[in-house]
Amino acid sequence: MDQFLDQVEACVPALRRYARALTRNADLADDLVQDCLERAISRRGLFRPSGPVRAWLFTILLNLYRNALRSSHRRGETVDIDAVPEPSTPAPQPGHIALAEMARAIDTLPLEQKEALLLVALEGLPYAEAAGILKVPMGTLMSRLGRARATLRVITGSPVEPHLRTVK
Amino acid sequence: MSEVTRDMLMAYADGQLDADERATVETALTTNPDAAAEVALLQRQTDAIKTLFAPAGAEAVPARLKPRRLAAELSRRRANSWGWAAAAIVLVGLGLGAGWFARPLFDARPASASLIADAVNAHTVYVAENRHAVEVASNDSEHLSTWLSNRLATPLGMPDLNAQGFTLVGGRLLPGEPDKGGRAAQLMYENAAKDRITIYVTAALPDRQPAYQFTQYEGAEAFYWANARITCTVVGTLPEAQMKAVAGAVYDQLTEGDVSADRMYRG
Repeated sequence: MDQFLDQVEACVPALRRYARALTRNADLADDLVQDCLERAISRRGLFRPSGPVRAWLFTILLNLYRNALRSSHRRGETVDIDAVPEPSTPAPQPGHIALAEMARAIDTLPLEQKEALLLVALEGLPYAEAAGILKVPMGTLMSRLGRARATLRVITGSPVEPHLRTVK
Repeated sequence: MSEVTRDMLMAYADGQLDADERATVETALTTNPDAAAEVALLQRQTDAIKTLFAPAGAEAVPARLKPRRLAAELSRRRANSWGWAAAAIVLVGLGLGAGWFARPLFDARPASASLIADAVNAHTVYVAENRHAVEVASNDSEHLSTWLSNRLATPLGMPDLNAQGFTLVGGRLLPGEPDKGGRAAQLMYENAAKDRITIYVTAALPDRQPAYQFTQYEGAEAFYWANARITCTVVGTLPEAQMKAVAGAVYDQLTEGDVSADRMYRG
C-alpha cells in the first residue's frame, strides 16, 4: 500500500549492519538507525521518488553518525586504548585473515576511509552510489578505498606484493 | 599488462567492472601471479569484513525499527504536538487575561522579586558557613534583637520556632538596596538534622503595602510577605509543607499586634 515504507523497510537490515560496523556497538547502532528512519519518514516529502531510497537513507545515517561523533568529540571523549593496533604478526596460515585483527584494523582507519570501505566491501554498493552517498567524486572514493585496503593489508600482516608497484 | 592498474584490480575484486574490463583483467591475472595474489588478498579482506559484520544484517529487526510503526508513531506525535500547540494558545490567552485582571496585585509588590532574590542569595551564602554562619550568636539574643531593631528602625523580636523543631543560631546585619530600606537582618535557625532556614527582614517598603508570596527560587522555597512595618522572607530547602509550617509560625510572631497586617495567605 505504502511503497515508500516498503522500500525503507527493505533497507533496514543493511542500515543496521552498516551502523553496527561503523559504531561497533549494537545499541548505539540501532539508535542511529532509528534516528535515521524517523528523519527519513518525517521528511519523505523531500525525497525524490526517482532516486534510490537506499542511497538517501545511507546519506541520512552517515550525517547523523558524523554529527553524533562531532558532538561527542566536543565533549572531550577519549580514544579507546584498545582501539590502537598492536604490532601485527603474520597471518597464521595463507589465505586466512584473523578476524579480530581485521576488526581492530578497520577501527584504526580514518573515518572517511572506513565509511567508504564499509559501503563497498560490506554493503557491496556500486562505486558510483557510494561516491554519491559520501558526496565525493568517484576518484576520491577509489583513492580512499585504496588507502583503506593498503592499511588493512599492513595491519593484518598480510603479505605485501612488492612487484605490484610496477604494475601502475 | 600495462593497462591494468591497481585501481582496476581493486574494482575487479569489488565486482565493479563491466564485461570488457573484466575480461581484460582476467587475462592479465593468468600471466601475472602478483596481480592474482593482489586480487586474492583484496577478496580475502572483503570476506573478512563480511564475516565480521554481515550477521548484524541477518538478525531479526526489533520492533522499534519497523518503518510502519515509526510512521504511525510520528503521525501520532505530530497530532499530539498540534494538541499541545492548541493548549498552549489557550493557556497563553488565559494567562494574558488573568495577568490583566491581576494587575493591581502585581503592582502592589514591585520590590518583592528582588527582595526574595536577595534573601535566597544571602541564605545560600551563609547556611554553607559553619564557623561563621552568624555575626551575633543566639546566646546574645537580646543584644541581637536590640541591635537589629535599631538598625532596621523597627522592633524585631526573634521568632521562637521550637515548636517546629528549630532553634536560633544567631543573626547578622546585611546591606540592602537603598530603596528597599538600605539594611536587612538575617536570622538563622537550625533543627536537629542540621537543616537551616533563614529569615530575611527589612524595614517596610516605601509603599508600606501588604503583600504575600510563596515561591520557589533557585532550588529554595521562599515565603515572602510585607506589611506596613517590615518585609520578611523565610528561606529554606525543606519540603514545602514543612516550610509552610515554619513560615506560618514566623509570620504569626513577627506580625503580632500589627493591626495593619492582613490575614496571611494560606495557599
